[in-house]
Amino acid sequence: MSNATAVDLRNRGGLIAIFEEFRDELDDHNDRRERLIKQSRDITNLSKKVIFLLHRMMTDDASDTHTSTAGLEDRGDRARAFKAASRAKEKLREIQSIFANIRKELEGDRFWRYQRQVSPGLQEYIEALSFTHYLETGELISFGGVQSTLADEQGTPYFPLPLEDYVLGLSDLTGELMRYAISSIARRGGRNKANDVCAFVRNCRADFEVLTPYFKELRKKQNVTSQSLQKIEDAAYAIAVRSSEYDLSPEMLDDIVTRTVSSSFGSGGEEDSDKRKRPRDDDDGEYER
Amino acid sequence: MDSQNLEYINNLLEQDNEVREKIKEQVADLDKKTRTMSGVLNKIHSTPSSQLPPLLNQIKPVLASCKDTNASLANIIPANQFWRWKEMWSISLRNAVFAATLVGYLESGILLTLPQVREILGIDASWSDRYALPAEDYLHGVISLVNELSRLAVNAVTMGNFEEPIKISSFVKDIFAGFSMLNLKNDTLRRRYDSLKYDIKKIEEVVYDVSLRKLAPARSRST
Repeated sequence: MSNATAVDLRNRGGLIAIFEEFRDELDDHNDRRERLIKQSRDITNLSKKVIFLLHRMMTDDASDTHTSTAGLEDRGDRARAFKAASRAKEKLREIQSIFANIRKELEGDRFWRYQRQVSPGLQEYIEALSFTHYLETGELISFGGVQSTLADEQGTPYFPLPLEDYVLGLSDLTGELMRYAISSIARRGGRNKANDVCAFVRNCRADFEVLTPYFKELRKKQNVTSQSLQKIEDAAYAIAVRSSEYDLSPEMLDDIVTRTVSSSFGSGGEEDSDKRKRPRDDDDGEYER
Repeated sequence: MDSQNLEYINNLLEQDNEVREKIKEQVADLDKKTRTMSGVLNKIHSTPSSQLPPLLNQIKPVLASCKDTNASLANIIPANQFWRWKEMWSISLRNAVFAATLVGYLESGILLTLPQVREILGIDASWSDRYALPAEDYLHGVISLVNELSRLAVNAVTMGNFEEPIKISSFVKDIFAGFSMLNLKNDTLRRRYDSLKYDIKKIEEVVYDVSLRKLAPARSRST
């Protein structure tokens, strides 16, 4: 396409040559697109694994600190969260190296050309990263915090982090937190945790609400966040109402709940299929018995 | 979310919003120009070829004025963000490509190449990370050209120009041959390419009618 010569009716060859260039250009574009879709899918899968790992580590180790007192329990819980976060960070590094590898494909103006292909993996990564960050610090990871994990040693970003992916990734975090809160509610110290998560998710929802006019997809995700929030609130409510019926210390209540959970379902593996509902059903079972 | 982060986000949003508003303004301008051009170009279906030059001269200043709009757009788009915003003007730009290539065909019977169109529309190749004419948009414009020429083939005959359909037929077949070399995915370009065969069929029918009745001079067939 470098020569600006006209293609006239008597020169089919010239036109063919020009379309050959278009073909190469389009092929190149489609190939790159396919490669990035594949990489994005890999990133999504690895990110999901990180999220599962976090859920698992936060629930599986529950029995470790079974006999400790409330104070120690709290500390044990922090320790578990740190351990989970550091394991997750190792896994996240794997994902970060994929991002480092596709950096070349996304150089210059290419990033925005393929942003839609990269976006699903990126959002899932942000979800996993922010969940890790929450367990470690109890806070929402900042925009700069996310961008800094996607940069080389000199701090140069691999590509500009789109605000949309940051916000949508965080919006998905609220769903994971709901699962986390519900599955830990039936455990020692879990009710406090559920309350913390509840307050946190409530803040997230309020923060995101302001941003909804700017991102089409956020509207839908806000509805999901609202549902998640309601599930946590309902669970917290049920716990509050029922614990008031019994004049028991929180520790004794914990023991009862733990016993019930382990007798009816065994320990662990709680965050599988219908983790949204089950813990609340557990409670119902306990008090009817 | 802490206040610092929120402020950062709001800043980014504001910047983006500013860019978006500025682009909108220019796209509205570009749209106005392409609408003017297609309004005038619609008259080719009722204008005998002898009277075409004044009609085309009417379009040229409008076509040239697209340069200003394109230059303004290039100035608005931040570095490396061409693909981020391009959806906003793709349709207008394709219409501009269509107008340019149609004028090119009517004037000299040629298909203007992408670099030629770029020059007419004043899109500097050095802006490529901010504002460019991608192959995809050029090809969309060319398909619109073929769509329009299939109409012209019919209307030219009505106006008594029996040679035009034959010229168009050969021109469009070459373009079709070019398109069939591309490996198109299932996107709008692919769908529009698939529809080209109906245009070709329509043109062929006109050529058939004209030839059968020996209305067109025989030598034109060989070109």
